Amino acid sequence: MASRSSANHWPRINIGTVVYWLLQFLGWGFYFYAQASGEVIFAQVPWSKASTLWGGVCLTGIALTHLLRWLIKRQGWLALKPGALMGRILAAVLIIAVIAYLNTLVLSEAVYGTLVTPIAAAFYQRLNLEGQLRNQFIFMLLVHGAWVAVYLAIAIQRHRYRAELRQAQLGEALRAAELRLLQSQLNPHFLFNALNGLRSLIADDPGRARDAVTQLARTMRYSLASGDEDLVSLERELEMVEDYLALESMRLEDRLRIERHIETDARAARLPAMLLQTLVENAIKHGIAELKPGGTLRIAAKLERGQLVLTVVNPRPANPPPARGDGVGLRNASQRLRLMFGDRASLQLDLSTPGQATAEARLPA
Amino acid sequence: MKTLIVDDEPLARRELRRLLGAIHGIEVVGEAGNIDDARMRIEELAPEVVFLDIQMPGGSGFDLLAQLERVPRVIFTTAYDQYAVKAFDVNALDYLLKPIEPERLAAALRKLQAAAPPDAGAASPGAPLEQLFVRDGHRCWFVPLREVSVISSEGNYVRLLWGRERPLLGRSLAALEQKLDPRRFFRANRRQLINLDYVAQVELGEGGRLHVQLRDGPEIEISRRQARLFRARG
Repeated sequence: MASRSSANHWPRINIGTVVYWLLQFLGWGFYFYAQASGEVIFAQVPWSKASTLWGGVCLTGIALTHLLRWLIKRQGWLALKPGALMGRILAAVLIIAVIAYLNTLVLSEAVYGTLVTPIAAAFYQRLNLEGQLRNQFIFMLLVHGAWVAVYLAIAIQRHRYRAELRQAQLGEALRAAELRLLQSQLNPHFLFNALNGLRSLIADDPGRARDAVTQLARTMRYSLASGDEDLVSLERELEMVEDYLALESMRLEDRLRIERHIETDARAARLPAMLLQTLVENAIKHGIAELKPGGTLRIAAKLERGQLVLTVVNPRPANPPPARGDGVGLRNASQRLRLMFGDRASLQLDLSTPGQATAEARLPA
Repeated sequence: MKTLIVDDEPLARRELRRLLGAIHGIEVVGEAGNIDDARMRIEELAPEVVFLDIQMPGGSGFDLLAQLERVPRVIFTTAYDQYAVKAFDVNALDYLLKPIEPERLAAALRKLQAAAPPDAGAASPGAPLEQLFVRDGHRCWFVPLREVSVISSEGNYVRLLWGRERPLLGRSLAALEQKLDPRRFFRANRRQLINLDYVAQVELGEGGRLHVQLRDGPEIEISRRQARLFRARG
C-alpha cells in the first residue's frame, strides 16, 4: 500500500467543489453586503448591528443550502425524472425558506427587538406588520429559490455532460469489443490440414517440415496479435501472407500458383492486420481449392489518390456448390474496416465475371 | 480388405497410406484426388472400405456417396468438418480427425469389421443392394434396405418408407428394383414395392386384387396381375 502511505501526495482537489464554494461565498457575500449596507443606508442603523443580523442570515443560508446540496447528491435527485425532481425541489425550497424566515425573525428580535428587519420595515413602510412579515417570508423564498435555481442549472448541466461522456466511453468500449470479435482468426480447417500435411512431411522431407513449423508458428502468432486496433505496414502483412501461402502450397502443391504485383511505395502503407490474409484465404477456400486443376492467385497492391488499394483475383467454379459459411470472413473484414475508417474505406467482392472472383479493399493510405 | 483413399491433398493421401501400411490385412488398392476420379475407382476397383475426405474440389464426399450405385463402407477423414459427419441422423458413420491418430485408425477399422459381415457391401458387384445412401435436403442417411417397408415411385424419384423417415432418392423405381433382393422386395403395383418381411395381413379385394396390411405401415393394394405372382410365391 505504498501509494496510500506516501505523505507527499496532495489530496485530490475536485475542481467542481472549488467552484461550488467560490460561488457560495460570492453569492452569499454579495447578498450580505447588499442587505447590510442597505439597512445602514435606508434604516440608519449601526453597521455592527446590520452586519450581525445579515451575517447570521447568510451563514444560515450557506448551511441550509449546503445541506440541500448534500441531500441532492446523496439521494441522486439529478437522475430522477423531471416531475419527481421538481416536486422534491419545491418542497425543499419551501422548508428551507420557512427555516430561514424563522431564523430571521429570531435574529432580528435579538439584535433590534423587532420581528421585522429594519430594511424590510423601511421598504414596506406602508404595509402593516402582517404585510411586512409576509413580504419578509416571500423574500426568503425568492432568495433561496434563486440559489436552488442557479445550483440546479449548473448541476443538471454537469450531470448531463457526465452521462454523455459515460455514454461515449461506453460506445468506445463497445466498438473495441466489437473489433475484437471481428478479429480475423485463422480458419481451424486450415490449421488442422496444415498439421496433417506437416505430419506427412516429417517422414518425406524433414527439412521442409522444419520450415513449415516455423511458418505455422509465425502465422499463428501474427493472427493472435491481430485483435489489436493498431495498424501494420503492408510489408509486415505481406510477410505473413507469404508464410500462409507457403503452408497452403504444401497442401495444394502445384494447384496453387501465385502472381504478385506489389508497388514499392505501397509497402509502407498501413492497414488492419489480417486484412490481406482474409482476402487471400477467401480466394483459396472458395476459389482455387474448389477447382480440380487449381488456378492462379493474383495479389496486387498500389497507392491511388491517397488510398491503398488491395486487389485479389482468383478463378472460381462456374457453378459453385451451395456454400458453407460463405463470406463470413469477408463480411467481418468489411465491418472491421467500417468501424475503423467509416466511409473512407470499402471492401468489395466482384463476382460479375463468370469463373472469376475479384476482391478489392480500399482504405486511406 | 481392399481400401481406397480419397483426398484432394497429396500429402494427406501419402500420410494415410503410410498409416494404413502398418495395419495388417489392409490393402490400399488406389487413390483419388476428387470425386469424379473416386467414382471411377470405386466402380473399377470395388473397394470394401473407402477413406473419404469431405471437402474436395468439384464436390464433397457426400456428393460422391449420393452418386454411387453401390455404397462401400466409408470412414470419413476430416480436418474440421466432424459436425457435418455428426449431422448424420442415424447409424452414424465413423470419422477420423486429421491429423489422424494411428490408434483411432486401428479402432475404426476394427469397429467396421465387427459391424458388417465381410461379404456384404461392394465386394460382390452382382449381389443385391443391402443399403442405400440417401441425401434429402441437408440430411443424409445410410438406409439399411431390410428396414424399409415400402418404396414408392414419385415421378423420377422414389420415396422410401423407413421407420418415421420418408427420404426421397434420385432414382427411378424400375432401375432400383433391378438392384434389390427379389426375395425381399415385391412389386405390388405400378407405383410400389413392398418389403415382404413387413407383411402383417393379407385380405382379398374386388376383382382378384389383394390388400396387404404392413406392420407399422399403410395398407397397400396389390394389382390383379401381381396378385397372381404373390399367391404363387405362397
